[in-house]
Amino acid sequence: MIIDVDCHNYWSTAEVLIPYLDKHHRDYFVRGEQPGPKGAFPHAHRAWLHPEGFKRADITPISEDDNYAIMKEKHLDHYNIDYAILTGDEAIEASTLANPHYASALVRAYNDYQIEEWLPRDERFMGSIVIAPQDPHLAAAEIRRLGHHPRMVQVLASHGATRPYGDPFYHPIFEACAEVGLPFAIHLGGQGGINSNPIAAGPSTYFWETHAILPQSAMTHMASMIAQGVFEKWPSLYFIIIECGVAWVPSVLWRLDANYKALRKETPWLKRLPSEYFKDHIRFTTQPLERPDNLQHLWSILEAMDGKNTLLFASDYPHWDYDDVNNLHIPPEWRENIMGGNAMQVYKRLQALDASKKAV
Amino acid sequence: MSDNKHRVCATNEVSPGQQKIVQVGRLSIGIFTFDDTYHAMLNVCPHQGAALCEGPVCGTSQQTDNAEFIYCKDDALVRCAWHGWEFDIKSGESLFDPSIKAKTYPVSVEGEDIYVHL
Repeated sequence: MIIDVDCHNYWSTAEVLIPYLDKHHRDYFVRGEQPGPKGAFPHAHRAWLHPEGFKRADITPISEDDNYAIMKEKHLDHYNIDYAILTGDEAIEASTLANPHYASALVRAYNDYQIEEWLPRDERFMGSIVIAPQDPHLAAAEIRRLGHHPRMVQVLASHGATRPYGDPFYHPIFEACAEVGLPFAIHLGGQGGINSNPIAAGPSTYFWETHAILPQSAMTHMASMIAQGVFEKWPSLYFIIIECGVAWVPSVLWRLDANYKALRKETPWLKRLPSEYFKDHIRFTTQPLERPDNLQHLWSILEAMDGKNTLLFASDYPHWDYDDVNNLHIPPEWRENIMGGNAMQVYKRLQALDASKKAV
Repeated sequence: MSDNKHRVCATNEVSPGQQKIVQVGRLSIGIFTFDDTYHAMLNVCPHQGAALCEGPVCGTSQQTDNAEFIYCKDDALVRCAWHGWEFDIKSGESLFDPSIKAKTYPVSVEGEDIYVHL
């Protein structure tokens, strides 16, 4: 079983969203100011520009239909992937806009486009409800609008945010996730605009340098989700962190546990060690999996975070730092869990779908 | 040069900056040209096995001691299609570590035909 938890369904132009936008926001999109040429997605752009572009150079869609055809040939069929969870691409960048109504209209349009134009194409596709977290009430409304769609398996936002995700400001989002029974996932992105603190100590300079340290804000989100008691309030909630690196996790957990033991009085709502909340509620995707010269160094770290049970395979197709299914450097005896078993456990809705498929 | 030679394409099918991917038996090979010479490289990246030769053929910045950007190896370098590792087309050497090498093959030209010697 191979479940790819981060498969980007590209578009060739963001104009695919026009038929799905309400008329008010369609006018913004068609006649309003754009951050790039015609068809650019309206995000408040990040300060770091990839010098070669984000896409693999051998993925060259021309028509919109090519986006699926190439993914099918070069990824889904090529690697015999059983399920691919679509993570969109630019849609999560709506989190960078100051106007929460426009941002919400854009993700709503994206979600409808995804349901209409992607899910029906391939049984292997599962969807993500993309939200604009800057207005948690509008985000919660979007989660409730689509939360019972049988093929929507998670709620997704960018890891760039205006504040740490455990902040009670965001709790309406988790309330809605728990209500519809979906995990909350964040994916690397959304740096820029109102998300002005993606890098601690101030903006770094070069793209490769910045990309390597972007996990900084994921550390903050992980600590915040645990400390603010999100998993006590919603004990069935899973929090999935996509594309934010992995090897830093044990180090931060060790620090959180150490400090909590001394100063648990600050957060009396917590009942367990931070690392215990982590094991039961937080999952990390593998890509881009760190690769030291000595693999044993990595494997010791993965073991320290119970990687056999906390890691989900992700390819990040079709991006420049894509991980190849056949070259994933994890301990062989963990493969079944990481390639699909763990995802199946976290994505309850996928479990139900898979069971009904097998029953037929 | 090995006698096991295969005609792969005509000289006018490749140009500087525009490679051609050819199939020789089970091997996918990239054919490149610059400075009136022709080169062949196995279309498999030593990093993760990606379609190395399908990436952009271009140049890069020369190593310097200060913030000076000297464009070098123009059309003599291919960036792997997946992760962008840079390889010198002639030697097959990676730019960040010459001991990481893409497989290259000798090439000969007879009239307008390009031959790869396996």
